[in-house]
Amino acid sequence: MATSLPSVAIPGQRLGSVAAYAAGPGTHIQQANIYASIAGPVVVDPAPPKTQSKSTLRVSRVIPAPSRGTLSGTSQKPRYNTLPAIDSIVLARVTRVQKRQATVSILVVLDESAANSDPSKSASDNDNVASILTSAANPENHSNTDELRFQALIRKEDVRAVEKDRVVMDEMFRVGDIVRGSVISLGDQSFYYLTTARNDLGVVMARSDAGNMMFPASWKEMRDPVTGVGEPRKVARPF
Amino acid sequence: MNDRRRVNGPPGGTRPPVFQSGLQSSNPSDRPRRQRQPAELRKIFLKTGLIPSASGSAYLEFEPSASLAANRSNPKSMIPPSSALKLTCTVHGPKPLPRSAAYSPNLVLTTHVKYAPFAARRRKGHVRDSSERDLGVHLETALRGAIIAERWPKSGLDITITILEAEDDRWWGEPPDSHDASWGIMNVLAGCITAASAAIADARIDCLDLVAGGVAAITEDVGASHSGSGRLMLDTDPAEHASILSACVVAYMPARDEITELWLKGDSSKAVLDDGDSRQGHDALIDGAVDAARGSYSVLSEAVKESILNAVAHA
Amino acid sequence: MSNPRQASSASQTPHLSPAELSYLYTSLSLPKGPIRPDGRSPTQFRPLTAETDILPGTNGSARIGFADGTQAIVGVKAEVEKTVLASDILQQDVENDLQAPSDRRDGAESTPSAAAGGHGSWVQMSIEIPGFRDDDALPVFLSEMMRESLVGSVTDAGKGRDTEMAGGLKGRLVINKRWHWRLYIDVLLLSQPLSYPLPLLSLTTHLALLSTKLPKLKSQGEEDPFFDDDWGVAEHLYPRPSPSASATSSQIRPPVTLLVISVGDNVIFDPNREEISVADAVLAISITRNSEGQGLKLLSIRTIDPPSRLTQPGVPNSENLSTMAATGNSDNAAAANPSAGQEEVPGVWRPRRGGIKRSVITELTRTVLKKGGVGEEVLEGLEGVEV
Repeated sequence: MATSLPSVAIPGQRLGSVAAYAAGPGTHIQQANIYASIAGPVVVDPAPPKTQSKSTLRVSRVIPAPSRGTLSGTSQKPRYNTLPAIDSIVLARVTRVQKRQATVSILVVLDESAANSDPSKSASDNDNVASILTSAANPENHSNTDELRFQALIRKEDVRAVEKDRVVMDEMFRVGDIVRGSVISLGDQSFYYLTTARNDLGVVMARSDAGNMMFPASWKEMRDPVTGVGEPRKVARPF
Repeated sequence: MNDRRRVNGPPGGTRPPVFQSGLQSSNPSDRPRRQRQPAELRKIFLKTGLIPSASGSAYLEFEPSASLAANRSNPKSMIPPSSALKLTCTVHGPKPLPRSAAYSPNLVLTTHVKYAPFAARRRKGHVRDSSERDLGVHLETALRGAIIAERWPKSGLDITITILEAEDDRWWGEPPDSHDASWGIMNVLAGCITAASAAIADARIDCLDLVAGGVAAITEDVGASHSGSGRLMLDTDPAEHASILSACVVAYMPARDEITELWLKGDSSKAVLDDGDSRQGHDALIDGAVDAARGSYSVLSEAVKESILNAVAHA
Repeated sequence: MSNPRQASSASQTPHLSPAELSYLYTSLSLPKGPIRPDGRSPTQFRPLTAETDILPGTNGSARIGFADGTQAIVGVKAEVEKTVLASDILQQDVENDLQAPSDRRDGAESTPSAAAGGHGSWVQMSIEIPGFRDDDALPVFLSEMMRESLVGSVTDAGKGRDTEMAGGLKGRLVINKRWHWRLYIDVLLLSQPLSYPLPLLSLTTHLALLSTKLPKLKSQGEEDPFFDDDWGVAEHLYPRPSPSASATSSQIRPPVTLLVISVGDNVIFDPNREEISVADAVLAISITRNSEGQGLKLLSIRTIDPPSRLTQPGVPNSENLSTMAATGNSDNAAAANPSAGQEEVPGVWRPRRGGIKRSVITELTRTVLKKGGVGEEVLEGLEGVEV
């Protein structure tokens, strides 16, 4: 394609032909042409060099921040919703623990591109993950905003990969824990289904009975730094 | 359509005051006249992202007509010569569907159009009446054709439009009951469509194209005594015309050259077109509305582009 | 039935699988004319039974039943209401107190006053559909659509033979300067609609209005009105042609709203539920006979949201993870990811996207309006009904 790509696109703007590019997120195909479907910067993801595939054209939902490092923590960046899809990694807060399942409410869907690539140059939603988590872990914020969040279930058999039959839900999650999970199904009308059956999935933040933030001690225990008491959890492997 | 939750008293039976000048309608010189060319549109102000708590928002305003601007700077009469449209649109979502809702593989769109009580000449109640509900359905039809709904399974999108100042159905100087065809609502719908499309783009919901609203009407002017002299006008301000015979509003996607919403009413058979124009009245009317929509699209695309460029510049 | 509050204008959510939708779409969009599931021709309507004057308590009533069992009953009641008009009252005050000069009076009369022209709000329409609240989108949309064309159909003043109908339905409701008829049109659908109920409701309303009679006025001039109780001398709301007038078609009749869909390049009338669920575009077109001559007049067009936009997409075999054995690695998952817009695969159902091409609208209206077209056919059929 001889035509050069625009730097930003608006919905309905023609970007290129399917002969030259593959259509990525934020675009749609119509009559063998790729059109933008959201407003945002146009990004070309080069194809992996060894394969025959074309480079992918997408319209980014997030605005790239050119000057990392100098960015102050106070800069408010608009956050755009990304919907949980199959295989996306989400952070969720436990709202209810039952014998056979735990109910969680999804706080944020982690950007896959950022999760897979070098975290140091991730220009994504993940910036404000920290702020979301700290606010969500605060008991005062456990308000009825759950109504506005997507609900998900972690079934007993999806908690861990080994010793599935010995899982006791109370020893895996407590209400208020922040869990990293992977979406396995869009589920039914009300719940998504999550799994934590991987080493890097599970509880990432939790408070002890005494109310202190705990640190992971092993794959199934977290410990209160003040009282020294350990509590059982399905712990995610820290990075 | 009654409020079912409350026991309301009988309706007040009030009406806007009648002015003496309205009864002496023999001085049509006060009546505002269209100073634009038949195909000339009013200027539109459109800005997105004004409401931080919403995932997308837009504000739209039509340029007041020349006579209205003159009256505002130097008011002679309490009767505004015409009205200008002002409305806000907010988009909330995508958010989970309520628990009672069934599974939906697509985005579930909910549109809610409400006049502010003070928006029009006659005060509107706080409960939506049938014309506001009807507007909501029209808007939903217009937008659903543009949104790529299957990208947002299991989620809902709420679009709320508040009309701060509504286009009126006729000149206020005329007696309030003189005729009742609601032509202003069509301009309001066109504004709603344009603003909602900007707000959806601001919320980064996948769309096939921006969708713009446009209005055209066949009008008869004061001087024309004999019937059969309907002229095709784009972006009509009902206050500027003695009578509107027929009007049409479309929601139009320029990149695809497709119409997602069409609402035509009235008698379009009396349109007098240029010589050699063999189109029937309604076809000319629809084409006119599409032309008007193309005009508002240019504003719409600039507004969306401007908001994204601003965001890039400030990132 | 899905939650009716979510159900939008046209959406009786179709309960067809993607494969069925695709088959139906293909057969309806055949270039040599559609093959409809019930074997009708594209312009053929479903058979129906109709009767009028079934309810003695009304001024006019009608019942229409489709062969699939759905029935609609319409009752029209007319009640007398005092005309409250700002201009009118003040005008009288002015006349009484000031002995207004005659030119003022002329001026006031030259403005189209509601006392002469009638008011659209005098016609009130309510539609009751089982399973819907009366403020849900569907009943509101339907009643606005039908009311709009009813009150909008103004025939040419002065030229028509029937001066009573000069102002259209609105004008007919004026009794004198201070009193008018208020017309209540109540539509009852007896069962949950199996298809989009617009054609059924429109035809039934048409017949009910035709059979509506208003009692004969005995009072004169600006008196408070009182009426003759002899039903025999009551006048039809839509006046019958006097025996001297020869052509029956010269009678003024209420408008009719037709439901038209386009599938591919084909235009299909009176779609049933399955057909409408694959439609590319759905239009409701209101027509009436031109007051002079034989032509048809277009009163309104509205698009209706086609339910095909809400259907579940089919999955092409190439992307079906279950037929691809267990090779569902991340590459394939990405291919199945709906966020990457794929090309249309023939034979695989995709929900319809986008709007209507301009040329399709022209084609749809032309099919309705052209001489000897579907509009005339329908009106002739209705004229055959004994009222």
